Amino acid sequence: MKKIMIFMVLTTALFAKVNVDTTYSTLGAIVKKIGADKVKVTVLGSSKYDPHFIVPKPSLLAKLRRADLLVINGGGLELGWLPPLIRNANNAKIQNGAKGFLDISHFIPMIDIPASVSRAFGDVHSQGNPHYSTDPHLVLTIAKAIEEKLVELDFDNVEYYEQNLADFTKEWNKFLTKYDAKMAQCSGKKVVQYHELFNYFLKEYHIKSYGNIEPLPGISPSSKHTIKLMYMMKKKHIKTILQDVYHEKKTAEFIADKTGAQVVVIPHDMGAIGGQTLQEFYNNIAKQLCQ
Amino acid sequence: MKKTVCLSVLVFSSLFADSDIEILKKQMEQQSKTMHSLEKKVAFLEQKEKQNVNTSASFSQNAYLPDIALILNMSALNRDVKNSEYEQAAIPGFIDKGEMHLPFNKDTGFNLNYAEVAMHSVVDPYFEAFANFHLHPDEFEIGEAYVQTTSLPYSLKIKAGKFKSSFGRINKKHQHSWHFDSQPIIYKSLFGPDSISDPGIQVQWIAPTDTYLMFGAEAMQGTNDRSFGDTDTNNLYMGYIKSSIDIGDDLSILGGVSFAHGKNTTKNTTNIYGIDLTLREQLGSYSAIIWQSEFLQRDKDLGAKSDKQAGFYSELVYQYNNNYSMGFRYDRISKNDTDLSSYGSIDVDNLDRYTTMMEYKPFPMSRLRLSYTYDRTKVIADERKNVNEVMLSLNIAAGAHGAHDY
Repeated sequence: MKKIMIFMVLTTALFAKVNVDTTYSTLGAIVKKIGADKVKVTVLGSSKYDPHFIVPKPSLLAKLRRADLLVINGGGLELGWLPPLIRNANNAKIQNGAKGFLDISHFIPMIDIPASVSRAFGDVHSQGNPHYSTDPHLVLTIAKAIEEKLVELDFDNVEYYEQNLADFTKEWNKFLTKYDAKMAQCSGKKVVQYHELFNYFLKEYHIKSYGNIEPLPGISPSSKHTIKLMYMMKKKHIKTILQDVYHEKKTAEFIADKTGAQVVVIPHDMGAIGGQTLQEFYNNIAKQLCQ
Repeated sequence: MKKTVCLSVLVFSSLFADSDIEILKKQMEQQSKTMHSLEKKVAFLEQKEKQNVNTSASFSQNAYLPDIALILNMSALNRDVKNSEYEQAAIPGFIDKGEMHLPFNKDTGFNLNYAEVAMHSVVDPYFEAFANFHLHPDEFEIGEAYVQTTSLPYSLKIKAGKFKSSFGRINKKHQHSWHFDSQPIIYKSLFGPDSISDPGIQVQWIAPTDTYLMFGAEAMQGTNDRSFGDTDTNNLYMGYIKSSIDIGDDLSILGGVSFAHGKNTTKNTTNIYGIDLTLREQLGSYSAIIWQSEFLQRDKDLGAKSDKQAGFYSELVYQYNNNYSMGFRYDRISKNDTDLSSYGSIDVDNLDRYTTMMEYKPFPMSRLRLSYTYDRTKVIADERKNVNEVMLSLNIAAGAHGAHDY
C-alpha cells in the first residue's frame, strides 16, 4: 500500500506539467512552442475582444489559482482587468515580483514612449506602445524570455526547453526569410489605422501610418476628426485603412466610401481572424495588408 | 618570355603591395584619430552624466508612493417632496421617522456627495494595503482601511482592518461602481447607507476545482445597529460561498449564498440570509447585458417578539457601447412581519421602487448618469407618499485608480 502511494506521488511529480497562464493567445502559442509536452497552457483573454477590456470573469480566478507561471504582455495592456484577478486568485506564485510572474514587455525595445503622460491625451500607455506582438521579428525575443523563465521554474527539463528553443529559432528564422521577402514589396505603403495597434509591424516593414480613426487613444471617433482625416488621406493618396476585429467598422467604411480607400481587417492577436498557428497569424496580417 | 612576364608580375605585385600598405597605414592613422576624438567625447559625456546624478536623492522614497486617486461624486436633483420633509421620511417596518441617514443625493437642488481619496500600495512581499477616505461636506470618514495577504499558501487570503464585507453581491462594491446611484432598498433598510462595513477579519479560500468555488468567513465588530449593534463584544459572524460558471465564451453566471449571524441591540440574535445571482452576456468588447439580482431575509429576535422581513432587487443593464448604457431596476420589500401598529391606518403594504437610468461615459474615468426613480416605500408627514425623483449625477475617478472587481 505504502509503495503504491509513494509510486503515485513520484509519478505525479514526474509527469506534473507546469501550468502556464498567458493573458493573450500569441503569447500562449509561443509558450506551447517552448514548453510543448511539459506545460499546460491556458489563455485568459479571448482574441475576439479588445485586449484592453477583457472582462475579469470569476471563472478566470479558478484558472489563475492553479497557475505556476503567469505570462503577461505588460506595458499597461492588462491594467484595466488583470490586477483584481491576480489579487483575488489567492495564488502566491503569480504575484507581481514572484518567480512565476513574467512581464514580456520588459524584454521588448518599446516604441512610442510618451515624453509626458496625462489622461488629457486619452488612454496613453506611459511605458510605450504595448501592441508589440504583431511584429514577427519579436517572436524569438519573446520565446527566449519564456525559455529562460521555464528553465528557472523547471530546471529538471533544462535540455528539453533549450532544444525546443533551438528548433523553434531555426523554424522561425526560415519563416522570417520568406516573410520578409513577401513584405518587401509593400515597403513604403501608406496607411491609417483605427488605434495604434500595428505600429511595431509597420515600422519593421517601412509602412507609414499617417493617422488614426480615433481622435485620441481610447476615445470614440468624432465627425470633426473624421473629416480632417479624410482630407489628409485624399491629399496624401492613402488608400488603405487598417481596422481591427473588435472596434465598430462603420467609421472606417464611411471613410473608405468617401475617399476610395480600402478597409482591411487585420488580426491583432492569434486567432482573431481564424488561424490557429503563429505562422497563420502573421501570414494573415501580410495577406490582408500586402495584397 | 615566360620568365620576363613572371618577373614583371612579381615586381608589379610588390609595388602594388607597397602602395596597399601605405593606404592601410593612412587608414589606420585616420582611424586612430577618430578613436581618439570618440574617446574624448565619451569622457566628456561620462563627466556630464556624473554631473546629472541627483545628489539629493540619497534617501528619496518617491518611487514607493502609493497609487492615489480622487473620486468625486455630485448631482443635480429634483424631487416632488420638500427637503425638510424628505429628511423625516420613514420606511415602514425598517426605518422610523427621523432615522433615515442620507449621506448621498439628499437635497432637491445640488449635492456634493463626496470627495473620496482612494489609496493602494504594496506593503512588502506579504501584504497589500488599501484605504478609502470619504470626505463628506462636513464629515471625514475612514470608509475602508485594511491590509490583505498576497502570498499565503493553499489558496488562502486574509484581510484585516475596516472593510466592506463580501456578504452578498453589492455589499463590498463602492457606491461609485454601482449601476445605479441609489442603494437597493433592502440593503438600505437592513444596514443603512454604509451596508455591512466594520472593523474585522476575513478569510477566503478558493477550492482546488476547475469551477470557481470560493468559501469565505468573516468576524466583525457588528456596530451596525439597524440589524446588529450589541457592541459589548464583537458580535457579527458571516459565511458565504460563491461560484461561477461560463457558458461559451460570452455568458458568465455568478451566484452566491451568504449568511450573517449577529446580536442586535436587545442582545438577541439576528440572522440574515442572502442569495445573489448575476448573469453577464458579452455582446462585443464594449457591449453587454447584465442581469443582477439579490434576495435578503432577516430574522431579528427582539426577545418578546421576533421580526421576519425580506426584500429583493433585480436590475437589468444594457451596455450599448463604451459610451452609452441604460438600465432598469425593480426593488421590493417582499415580507414585513413586524409591529406596524404605529402607522395606524396608513397603508404600509406593497413597498416597492422603480428606477431607470441612462449613462454616458465620455471616457472610462468619467460618467454622467440621468436617472428617474418612482419610489413607493416612503411614509412622509404621516401619509404614504409616492416620490418622483429625477437626477443627473456626475462621477469622476482621477489619478491612479485601479480596475474594479467583477
